Amino acid sequence: MNTKVKMILVAGALALSACTNPAGLGGGGVTDGTAGAGTGGVIPGSVSDPTSVAYFQQAVGDRVLFVVDQSTLTDQGRAILDGQAQWLITNTDYTAVIEGHADEQGTTAYNLALGARRADAARSYLISKGISGARLKVVSYGKERPAEVCSDEACYAKNRRAVTVLAGGLTG
Amino acid sequence: MILRVLLACAVMLISMSVLPVRAEPLRIVIDEGVIEPLPFASPNFVAENAGSAEMGAQLARVVAADLQGSGLFREIPSSAYISQVSDFGAAVQFADWKAINAQALVTGAVNVSGNNLTVKFRLYDVFSGGELGSGLQFQGTTDGWRRMAHKVADAVYSRITGETGYFDSRVVYVSQSGPKGDRKKRLAIMDYDGANVKYLTDSRAIVLAPRFSPTGDRVLYTSYETGFPRIYVLDVGSVQRRVLESQDGVMSFAPRFAPNGQTVVYSQASGSNTDLFAMNIGNGSTTRLTSAPSIETAPSFSPDGTKIVFESDRSGSPQLYVMPASGGEAKRISFGQGRYGTPVWSPRGDLVAFTKQSKGRFHIGVMRLDGSEERLLTASFLDEGPTWSPNGRVIMFHRETQGASGTSTLYSVDISGRNLRPVRTPEGGSEPSWSPLQK
Amino acid sequence: MDVGQVISGTGHVALIGWVLLGGVFQSEPLPIEATEVSVISGADFAALIAGQDAPSSATDVAQPAQPDPVDDAPDVPQTSDSVAETPVPQAVETPPADQVPDVTELAPPPEADVDDVAPELPTPPAETAVLVPEQAEEAVPLPSDRVAPDPVAQPDPEAALDPVQQDAVTESDTGETPQETQEATAPEAASDQIVTEAEKPAAAPNASLRPPSRPSRPVPAAQTPQPETQPQTQTTQDDNSSDTDAAVQAALDAALNATNDTPTAPSGPPMSAGEKDALRVAVSSCWNVGSLSSDALQTTVTVSVAMSQDGKPIASSVRMLSSEGGTASAAKQAYETARRAIIRCGARGFPLPADKYDQWKEIEMTFNPERMRIK
Repeated sequence: MNTKVKMILVAGALALSACTNPAGLGGGGVTDGTAGAGTGGVIPGSVSDPTSVAYFQQAVGDRVLFVVDQSTLTDQGRAILDGQAQWLITNTDYTAVIEGHADEQGTTAYNLALGARRADAARSYLISKGISGARLKVVSYGKERPAEVCSDEACYAKNRRAVTVLAGGLTG
Repeated sequence: MILRVLLACAVMLISMSVLPVRAEPLRIVIDEGVIEPLPFASPNFVAENAGSAEMGAQLARVVAADLQGSGLFREIPSSAYISQVSDFGAAVQFADWKAINAQALVTGAVNVSGNNLTVKFRLYDVFSGGELGSGLQFQGTTDGWRRMAHKVADAVYSRITGETGYFDSRVVYVSQSGPKGDRKKRLAIMDYDGANVKYLTDSRAIVLAPRFSPTGDRVLYTSYETGFPRIYVLDVGSVQRRVLESQDGVMSFAPRFAPNGQTVVYSQASGSNTDLFAMNIGNGSTTRLTSAPSIETAPSFSPDGTKIVFESDRSGSPQLYVMPASGGEAKRISFGQGRYGTPVWSPRGDLVAFTKQSKGRFHIGVMRLDGSEERLLTASFLDEGPTWSPNGRVIMFHRETQGASGTSTLYSVDISGRNLRPVRTPEGGSEPSWSPLQK
Repeated sequence: MDVGQVISGTGHVALIGWVLLGGVFQSEPLPIEATEVSVISGADFAALIAGQDAPSSATDVAQPAQPDPVDDAPDVPQTSDSVAETPVPQAVETPPADQVPDVTELAPPPEADVDDVAPELPTPPAETAVLVPEQAEEAVPLPSDRVAPDPVAQPDPEAALDPVQQDAVTESDTGETPQETQEATAPEAASDQIVTEAEKPAAAPNASLRPPSRPSRPVPAAQTPQPETQPQTQTTQDDNSSDTDAAVQAALDAALNATNDTPTAPSGPPMSAGEKDALRVAVSSCWNVGSLSSDALQTTVTVSVAMSQDGKPIASSVRMLSSEGGTASAAKQAYETARRAIIRCGARGFPLPADKYDQWKEIEMTFNPERMRIK
């Protein structure tokens, strides 16, 4: 029962990380499977399509995690961002919004600021790898949008994150 | 001189040995006492015309609930009453109220005529057998009856304690529903006691940290309406709102009014840095107040508007600082173990309330402005976001329970640490902001 | 002797004048005045209420919701002032000999004390994998609404609440001695400190009850009435304020007074320190500063009261002599609180030695809340 609820919640949260893409961001937001740039032998938009959002999210990895209270990138985080930079260089039609998040152990205002720092750390790294700053916006959600809802370090670790959410093409 | 001394000694000797000493008043010093709620009785207000009885009972209930809820008073249940009050003008049978240890007695009368409501009350000090202050009468409409009761309770509170009350006030807060992973949040406003809840926004966008203006007519808050956190100001009467600042790529949050109601101080995140800014909401001009590479947020004005207390991690962890309202050198005031946040200057100016995180627990606490006399009032998995009652005696905050099914509830606590109690709201609640006493 | 007479006379006149006129300068009129029902204008109030009505239009669906056409506050007839005719309730002064025992009817409050903290207490065992040893909880003083000089454990629920603990006495117990049946009473539960929630989960070592903040004060052993006669007579002193002189004055005064007054009541030897302390403790147990503003808690008031021979205060004689440290309004609340303490705890008579009535027929009590501010 409990785990079932939890799974549903997690699924919801995951779906959300794609949905929270704000409406105000030019053009339609992109969600799993509903869009993809390329067509080919593979099913367009599926994970096997290297130009798809799903591929970006799952194969490349759309998020980097942070240590408690920190906004410095870990080695693992840098590796993931290297992959993201590669992907964004290849798929130039996409812009991205980098969402910064914090775990629930902190006050609302401070966590908003902390989330901004994390998002900016990811953005700066991507820029250093050659992505134009014009393609990368940041937004912080502080502790408002946890990916995991338990109150243990296991969940907190997954909530201290910067998520790169792809959005529609530059031209609209 | 010597003669007088001798004389005195002689007289004294005689008087002590022979004559009984005529006593001066006996003098004693009482420097220990008790701290307990003052027992009071609040019998149903007397109906002065047909059809007012129900209202009379309701008024007495709200008055009693206000007083009891303050933690400073304890209601004596009507089942203990020896006599009833059936005539507002008649002499009070003090002996009957003494017998049940009612130390204060609130009597009232009510007259409902159509939509009009007239409420009178008197307050008696039972043991001295006299009135405290003189009777008061309020007139208004029947739909404002709860405010009338709050006004009566405020008068009683102030006559007994010597400080103004806080019952005729409102609270704006974030109403929450839905599971933790997908919280729906919307702004709500209510009477201080949780009655008359009304919603001010819908839940399509995340809203954060509403803050009343000094007169209670407007509310500042942060909303993700555009996808990015921006500050809005909402008129409580018309429910009209407007964005305060809309600068692309910049996130603004944690706003708070200056006592002048014209200046707003807030946080703005740009790149990795978050600093404090002030804005004149009349002409939109902004001033940067801090420029450290660290996080500066959660600013709050002193009641005289000359200083700002805020939270900064410039020392490595979040701590509290005070600086002039125009910016400039900041002085750290928190030095205890742990992390400090969300400082709020008390309406009396002598204390700051804050959120403290220490050893895995959260606390609401108060300290003096120089950081001395820190006192933690609460402890739980997550307590946050204190706001002061208009008289500076009570703090409201929210408490979040842990785990996937965690919920958020508003609580209030006396600044002594006593009388911790939840504030009932229809949904979960967080980030309360207390209005001034209504006029 | 002449000099003595003059001095004594002056002292007496000053004292009498002070007692009589003291009341004149009191800020608060004695509570027999005709009271008025003052009025907030109907239109004003209605307008305010109407202002409040506006947001009610915001339904759940919120957003722009039109403000309701503000219900025009129906005009309230402005006849308001005439309402003041409510007759003044006559002060029905209960005779001091109030036979009703203080609190007998009052059922023990149904654990309202514990009620407001209950939600926090037991962390569900499943989630207790934390550091704080929760089992220390029960040994820590239970948070109580009441804070008193001496911690009192939860009373026997059978006993009526009474600041003074009394054992139940039944006829059978006492055998021949005819004695009234005394219902058992017990002081209401109290802790000696305000224990905030944050302070509560004390670790094991703190588990025992804390001692009262201070044991009863050591009273200087040698106590004679003389030094206390100082304040009045001092004013008649013109040229010389040396201690010797003052003492002489006092001695003269005391002696002369004694000679001039024929004692009408037993006066006996001076009150002992223990007897004074008993009185102090008795008043303390009713001095409830829990509902005082922080301003009033900065205010020390001195109150005088005349006593009847049965040890009960004469309620109408209670008056404020002086106050120190707070505003006039704070002094008023502080005084009212002191008055309540004297009348309430004196209702059954203070524990005073009957043979020394002359020593205590006038009592001046100084209520100093300094130590009660943060406890």
